[in-house]
Amino acid sequence: MRKSYDVIVIGAGNGGLAAAATCAKAGLSTLLLERHNIPGGSASSFVRGRFEFEPSLHELAGIGAPGDPGEIEKFFDRMGAEGEWVRDESTFRLIVPAKEGDTDTFVNEDGVEVSVDVRMPIGFEAFSRKLDEIVPGSYESSIAAFRIADRFFTALDQIEDGDFLNGGAGAAKVLPDVMRMTSHTMKEALDALGMPKKAQDIFNTYWCYMGVPASRFDFMYYMCMLHGYVKNGAGMPRKRSHAMSLAIDKVIRDNGGDIWYNSEVTRVIMRGGKPAGVVVNGEKEVYGRRFICNGAPNFVWNDLFDLKDVPKKQLQMANARQIAVSLTTVYLGVNKTAEELGFKDYSIFIAPDSDSDKQYEVCKQYGSGYCIINCMNEAIPDCSPEGTSILFLTSMTFGDVMQGVQPQDYKKFKTKVAEDMIETCEKALNISIKPYIEEIEIALPPTFSRYLNTPQGTPYGYMLNMWDSMIPRMLQYMKDQPFDNFLFCGASQERGDGYGCAYYTGEKAARLTIKAFKEGK
Amino acid sequence: MASPIKSLQVKKFLSMLPDRQARFEAGAPTLPPGSDQARVIARALHPVRQYLRVSAVIERGADCKSFELVPDPERGTEALAWFGAGKYLTVFETIEGMRISRAYSISSSPKQSLEGKYMLTIKLVEGGIMSRYILDNWAVGTPVEVSAPSGTFEYQPLRDAKKVICLAGGSGITPFLSMAQAIADGDEDFEMTLLYGSRNWDAILFRDELAAIEKATDKVKVIHVLSEKTAGRMRKGTEKGFITAELIEKYAPADEPYSVFLCGPQQMYAFVDKELEKLNLPRKYIRHEMFGEFHDPASQPDYPSDVPETVQITVTIQDETKTVTGSTGDSVMAILEKNGIAVPSRCRSGECGFCHSHLLAGKVYVPKNMEYRRMADYDFGCIHPCCSFPLTNLVLNVPAAR
Repeated sequence: MRKSYDVIVIGAGNGGLAAAATCAKAGLSTLLLERHNIPGGSASSFVRGRFEFEPSLHELAGIGAPGDPGEIEKFFDRMGAEGEWVRDESTFRLIVPAKEGDTDTFVNEDGVEVSVDVRMPIGFEAFSRKLDEIVPGSYESSIAAFRIADRFFTALDQIEDGDFLNGGAGAAKVLPDVMRMTSHTMKEALDALGMPKKAQDIFNTYWCYMGVPASRFDFMYYMCMLHGYVKNGAGMPRKRSHAMSLAIDKVIRDNGGDIWYNSEVTRVIMRGGKPAGVVVNGEKEVYGRRFICNGAPNFVWNDLFDLKDVPKKQLQMANARQIAVSLTTVYLGVNKTAEELGFKDYSIFIAPDSDSDKQYEVCKQYGSGYCIINCMNEAIPDCSPEGTSILFLTSMTFGDVMQGVQPQDYKKFKTKVAEDMIETCEKALNISIKPYIEEIEIALPPTFSRYLNTPQGTPYGYMLNMWDSMIPRMLQYMKDQPFDNFLFCGASQERGDGYGCAYYTGEKAARLTIKAFKEGK
Repeated sequence: MASPIKSLQVKKFLSMLPDRQARFEAGAPTLPPGSDQARVIARALHPVRQYLRVSAVIERGADCKSFELVPDPERGTEALAWFGAGKYLTVFETIEGMRISRAYSISSSPKQSLEGKYMLTIKLVEGGIMSRYILDNWAVGTPVEVSAPSGTFEYQPLRDAKKVICLAGGSGITPFLSMAQAIADGDEDFEMTLLYGSRNWDAILFRDELAAIEKATDKVKVIHVLSEKTAGRMRKGTEKGFITAELIEKYAPADEPYSVFLCGPQQMYAFVDKELEKLNLPRKYIRHEMFGEFHDPASQPDYPSDVPETVQITVTIQDETKTVTGSTGDSVMAILEKNGIAVPSRCRSGECGFCHSHLLAGKVYVPKNMEYRRMADYDFGCIHPCCSFPLTNLVLNVPAAR
């Protein structure tokens, strides 16, 4: 008998998981296909020795506070999925070590000469006051930015409901501030609000979570993110992201959906100019009426389709858009406690310059001195065995950094990269890490390429440049989809990367799919 | 006072969609790049499968042979995946209807893989289905199917001490031979002191090869530890007895940290682990190669009583469901394989997690030293079938074999 489903979801990243869970809950016969043996894509974990590491998650903005659930908690509630999070009531610490020629420097609490060393608290008021303390005269602009951001969430719902505009003119009347803020960069908007440059730099520290620097990042989206982190702080899954992904896996199964792991879609079968089925692992054909694809479009077109079947606009889109930045991460299990090592913060951003555009530029090479170090025990105290701790060091890195590196050189290359990042952190924090490394794994763009199957190993999808930012993507979502029965979800879509963002795109694609079935299409 | 943001033009928004449209229309209507160096490296190092052929067989005394393997372009493998010394290959075979796999450390050097050669050295395991089959059947020209090089038993300069005492037992020499050759080739940089346990002088595997490496580099020292009491004279550079704490201390540096790497049969781990406890080394300095296939779960002190001899396992893989019968003395994976069901497998020691599966009903026993599951796996009923032993009838969902 020919195997057939209402919906086939390709890829069990966060977007695919959300899509499959939503479809299965709506009673559609659903098959989720995943090339790896476990769900989640980035939302996973791995074990080395006595440590379990978080592969890519730094912190979730979608975990709210008691009585004020965040986006991710609400999504888990809608799905009926179990989630257990630990809240972290801090935002970030930013350290810019002093360079030769710097005039305005001081020696910080760790005995390091720095030009910037700030810890930002949660709460709009506290955050803005702290900013004002460091850069006098920045309070008004900071609090104004958060107040404007308050209104963005209503606007996002309106856009989603479709009553926002027809082409934009209608919206200009309804929500002019939204139009202003989404069509201007962080830099332009903060300048207009009168925020001093030094305060802007601190304000923009989280740019790297979406991979877009202040001169290119639209104010509205950045503020939605910053608002999320500052309002209630962040959350971490207590038992790593693997727990979140297994929770949604369970929802899919409990609602009658099928999940096939180690089952890579190797071909899309076309009928009458539209997708009609898929080939799994090069051998098994499965048919479906509708498809939701969590894959990266550039590779989907290359790997799964004949060129003649790819809509011309999709090729043009793929070539016009910019592949976003990739990652380099060093995972360390160390045989000293966070306290013994001298950690006081969960997230520490170490940068050679406080300007986000300069930070973005240094991502084009290794050895730049830009590194985020996280001590997981500061967020989840019992995340590792007694007497130990888990650290992870992250640099944004363009996939191009791998040019000229041959497979047989890769092991030595990545060890050198890791050593450099560890030394950057040791120096900036005036602590010692290297002698205590009990377990280490090093992930460069090839690692992310292997697990995420994205161009240059980016987890971020396409660069959210001003011209290709969130609101234009949302407004043109349906026009951007390749076939009326084949919708994309995941980091390549409206919101770029992030757990909440990917769940949103998956759930949205599923809602549109369910609607099409209801309308008998 | 008017809000300062009013100075930003609303009308800029109106040009955003047309601008985006125009940029798309200016995009080339051709396929975007289908690869990049990140993907090239990922695919070169981690192929799903490697199709090889036996190109030479070297006899190594009774019940042990080395097999030189080369790529088989006719079946789609053009070049071998490079590997870091210490990694293993999982070999896949179908033997009398059983779909079996085993992990074997690569005994050749990383450099040789670039010249198109891997070497696996297989010693007969008592009662071992796979080793018996390979020794009896593999000959020049035999097609062989293996995984990508896998495993984490490698030297890591940021983690391990500069000086490493390597403890090998019997065919556990294979990853160390690869590491020693890699040191001689300049691909690895550490000082290896190899304490290699064999029954007697004639039973030493790779004796000449190790001697040649010792000559080629002063970073590798080999000490043979011979367990059989022989009347003969003591050869230079050999020790008698077993690998004890005293012996390790005799060869370990007195004034600087050192790492200890172990690879050998399970009995050796049991013995040497006790000896290592006496040395009180930080955990980071002790690294084991994987434990290997676990047998006889009933011998474990925490194994429950009243376990039936046989159980039924109902397993779903993709859209196929089968019910099979097996012995509770076999792992879930072994039962499925013996019934001709191909399952995903790599390390077969619980460690790599490649066989990660959903247990929907029933109970399993997992030996304590094989526990490498993720925390959430316990909450959601996930198991590693390679080291899970059925205690009751089971219902399982297993990923496809790849």
